[in-house]
Amino acid sequence: MTSENSTAPAISVEGLWQVFGENTQTALREALDAVDQTAIAETLVGRGLIPAVRDANFEVRKGELFVIMGLSGSGKSTLIRCISRLLEPTAGAVHIDGEDILQADEKRLIDLRRNKLGMVFQHFGLFPHMTVTDNVAFPLKMQGASKKVRVARAAEVLEMVGLEGREDAYPRQLSGGQRQRVGIARSLAVNPDIWFLDEPFSALDPLIRRQLQDEFLHIQATLKKSIVFITHDIAEALKLADRIAIMKDGEIVQIGTPEEIVLRPVNDYVAEFSKDVPKGRHACVESVMLEAIPENMPDDPGLRVGMTLDMALAKCMSLYEPVPVHDAAGKLVGAVNPADLAAALQVDEV
Amino acid sequence: MSVIERATRKGAMALTAGTKAALFVIVIGAICRLLGPSVDWLVSWPDALVLPITEWVGLGVGWVLDVFKPIARFFSYLLNFPMSWASFVLGETPWPLVIGMVTALGWYLGGLRMALLGALGLGFVLLSGYWAEGMNTLALVAVSVPLALLSGLAIGVLAYEKPRVKNAVNVVLDVMQTVPTFAYLTPLLVLFGFGPVVGLIASAIYAAPPMARNVLLGLERVDDEVREAAVMSGATRRQQLFLVEIPSATTQIMVGVNQCLMAALSMVIIAAVIGGFDDIGWEVLLTMRKAQFGQSFLAGLVVVIFAIIIDRMSGKLAEPREKHSPKVVWSILAIAVASAIAFSLTGWNSSDVRAFDGVADAVDSGVGAFTASNGATLDALKNNAMFYGLLPLRIGLSDAVLPFTWGFKWTLTHTLMLYGVAVAIAGLLTWRGKPTAGLTTLIFVGMVEVGIAQLAWPFVLAGAGALGWVAGGQKLARFAVVLLVFILLTGLWERALLSLYLSGAAVFACAVVGGALGLWAAVSRTAWAILRPMCDLLQTIPLFVFLIPVLMFFQIGEFSAFLAICMYAVVPMIRYTRHGLVSAPEEIIEAARASGAGKWQEMFEIRGPYAAPTILLGLNQTILYAFAMLVIAALIGTTGLGQSIYLALGKADVGLGLTAGAAMAILALVADRLVQGFAEERRKALGL
Repeated sequence: MTSENSTAPAISVEGLWQVFGENTQTALREALDAVDQTAIAETLVGRGLIPAVRDANFEVRKGELFVIMGLSGSGKSTLIRCISRLLEPTAGAVHIDGEDILQADEKRLIDLRRNKLGMVFQHFGLFPHMTVTDNVAFPLKMQGASKKVRVARAAEVLEMVGLEGREDAYPRQLSGGQRQRVGIARSLAVNPDIWFLDEPFSALDPLIRRQLQDEFLHIQATLKKSIVFITHDIAEALKLADRIAIMKDGEIVQIGTPEEIVLRPVNDYVAEFSKDVPKGRHACVESVMLEAIPENMPDDPGLRVGMTLDMALAKCMSLYEPVPVHDAAGKLVGAVNPADLAAALQVDEV
Repeated sequence: MSVIERATRKGAMALTAGTKAALFVIVIGAICRLLGPSVDWLVSWPDALVLPITEWVGLGVGWVLDVFKPIARFFSYLLNFPMSWASFVLGETPWPLVIGMVTALGWYLGGLRMALLGALGLGFVLLSGYWAEGMNTLALVAVSVPLALLSGLAIGVLAYEKPRVKNAVNVVLDVMQTVPTFAYLTPLLVLFGFGPVVGLIASAIYAAPPMARNVLLGLERVDDEVREAAVMSGATRRQQLFLVEIPSATTQIMVGVNQCLMAALSMVIIAAVIGGFDDIGWEVLLTMRKAQFGQSFLAGLVVVIFAIIIDRMSGKLAEPREKHSPKVVWSILAIAVASAIAFSLTGWNSSDVRAFDGVADAVDSGVGAFTASNGATLDALKNNAMFYGLLPLRIGLSDAVLPFTWGFKWTLTHTLMLYGVAVAIAGLLTWRGKPTAGLTTLIFVGMVEVGIAQLAWPFVLAGAGALGWVAGGQKLARFAVVLLVFILLTGLWERALLSLYLSGAAVFACAVVGGALGLWAAVSRTAWAILRPMCDLLQTIPLFVFLIPVLMFFQIGEFSAFLAICMYAVVPMIRYTRHGLVSAPEEIIEAARASGAGKWQEMFEIRGPYAAPTILLGLNQTILYAFAMLVIAALIGTTGLGQSIYLALGKADVGLGLTAGAAMAILALVADRLVQGFAEERRKALGL
């Protein structure tokens, strides 16, 4: 994360509202007099309007992977469409690299999309009448690149997502995972700075999903894009995110690092999400360190700052000798090594 | 007991919608029935209140037409060029080349099957001796279809791009498709003058709406994400439309092309009524008029073959394309060229071959012999259907039952007995907890006693209003009543009722027969294997051709018209019934089976209710088909609006033609909206 950069954040969103219905601008302006956004939203609902995004405020730093997490209907897809201006927000401001893109005219917007923005869609959004190569090269064609350049660049990104050899296939001939690889390749074709991903892995089988998540992290490690990533899967959010924003009913209820979300949820709603999350995997030893250092510490299993709780526990357990195991009647039937217990609970790190 | 309480409360609930409406209709009906004989204006709309709408329309439209006449005539002059080119090219191209090209096209589109269809089909046309006439028809289609495709595409894209235009376009398209085909012809005849150009333009007008609809539908169905992906790639609006959205919608657009071609062909055939062009439609009409049924059967077959070739080949456009070797295309073409040269050297002329004249004569004599030997049976069939079915429906039991036919005279006692029985049935049904069904029965008995053509207008208005209210609330009720009042004001009411009676009888017959066949096809695979190609064929045949077989056996008259309408209109009923019944989700069916439902229980308890909205849509199609055919059937002797439209065409009376056409369209529209309302209500009730 390169937040020490003194320049503007990659994306900043201020007071963003998206209201669906008739005459939403006027209605919102009148309703904005109310005290807080809950009251405003109630006024709007009372007038038969749907406030899909309510007063969203956040920043995405350069090179940051920012995940927006929420259940269906929470407004996350609407929010990403406001930022990419596929929808016109009702009120608020969106700056990309310091430029107010809500003020951008049609021409500037097309220019931005041709050069700076890339987007991946939940159901891939592939053009059914084009081959894989033509799909991937489409944004380049819009840029006005020559056929030769397009084909070369398409081959390059297709190789990056592991699809070499399928260049001439049509989307209908590909599996779901392959289709999304095409989607990812297409969004990267013009090498954009800002990368929007709208639930890119939600429509895939669990195994393929994990595989693509890992490859995605790998690609991001080399490309360092500024990313807005939408998901409804808390495990995915925790796995990928630098920071997470949790949305409920159009409202962002908490923004924080995965650890903050898991260990310090601001309310029951957020807590409910992280209930089933194995905290040992996402929290580090610092989060449970004592305030004062005890004088007498005979054991030192070698814990380090930044170690997950799971890992730390395994280290501690390795200090112990094997212990006995009894049957229901109290008879000794065997022995277990505590280090093995901890290892069995460990999740393989990728 | 609580069960009884609940049952009564349910009864009271039912009184709110359908029952109320039925009661209202019964009250109005009873008043009209009691006062009808003494109060004249209840039964027939007073002449004093008839507005001279026909004349106004005639004057108004006539004036507009006069203004546009020079432009139209010029346009018509221009159109003559592509038309004469097309008919020159098609007419002068040696037939082996035409057959070869169609066969090659068939191979390219659909492999061996399509190639064979093309070769054998056109081979038949060649040998039938109708090659020249057939090529003339194709020339008309070849000019009108590009016109229709382009304007359809433009209209579809415009409606898609400008949401404000969309509603207007939809209304216009609705009207264009419900206004009967003949009604188009009269103003066009005045505008463009006598000749084939009228048929050409009529067919372009008639064929454009399905194209426009499918373009719009296809564009609207483009996946949102595909659209957004184009936007995010930085495409301009025009790039989005032409590089992404239209190509993505290709499949649906090709369905439009297929429908457009079929509509154009159908209309070109119908437009032969105007005459002036030596095409195959004219040949059918001419031979039909001369009662040369063998020849007209042959010409009709040629039309059917064209229709099948065009339909199946263009239908392939909407399917995923398989690769067929281009080498075969080239070899077919090479053979075609070679044989063209060979035949031109030998000087063999296709119009000399009338290989099937023998067949035509055989058909003629066969039909003659058949009707001669079975004349009594055919007459009995026709007369029984007329005397015991159609006639009572038309003029009511009280007038139709005569000593001459039924063996006794209908008296007041009979009327009272009939109503007594009806009231008893209604009472019984109400007691069984189905008051709406009981009251509806009573209404139907009343209608049969009075006769549809003699129904009092307040009763019809009340009935349509009540149906509208139940199906779609006040708005629909108002829509139905207002439009019907328009027909009253035009003075075409009696004719409208006659049309209503004939199409009503046909729709009823189609609903019963088609429903039963659909059920059969849903139960038995064998049945569907037999019915399906028949349905396909019946839907491909241009309307006109249906008249030939009924004429052959039953001569001119209402019964023939009735049969022709039924043959054409029964298809959607069969298809939709079957489709609705077989398409219930597997999970529901498994749940029913797991609950121990037998085959018929499954059919009537589960599949039936689930299929109800689909079956209603089928009924809706059947109604529209019946109205469309009704006008064509006017050629073989029906009374009613169809006849008016046909007469207006003969006299080039624009006012009468348009007004009667509008009245016909109104009947179709009202029926359409009512049935759709019920279907929609059912769908909502099922949560679909």
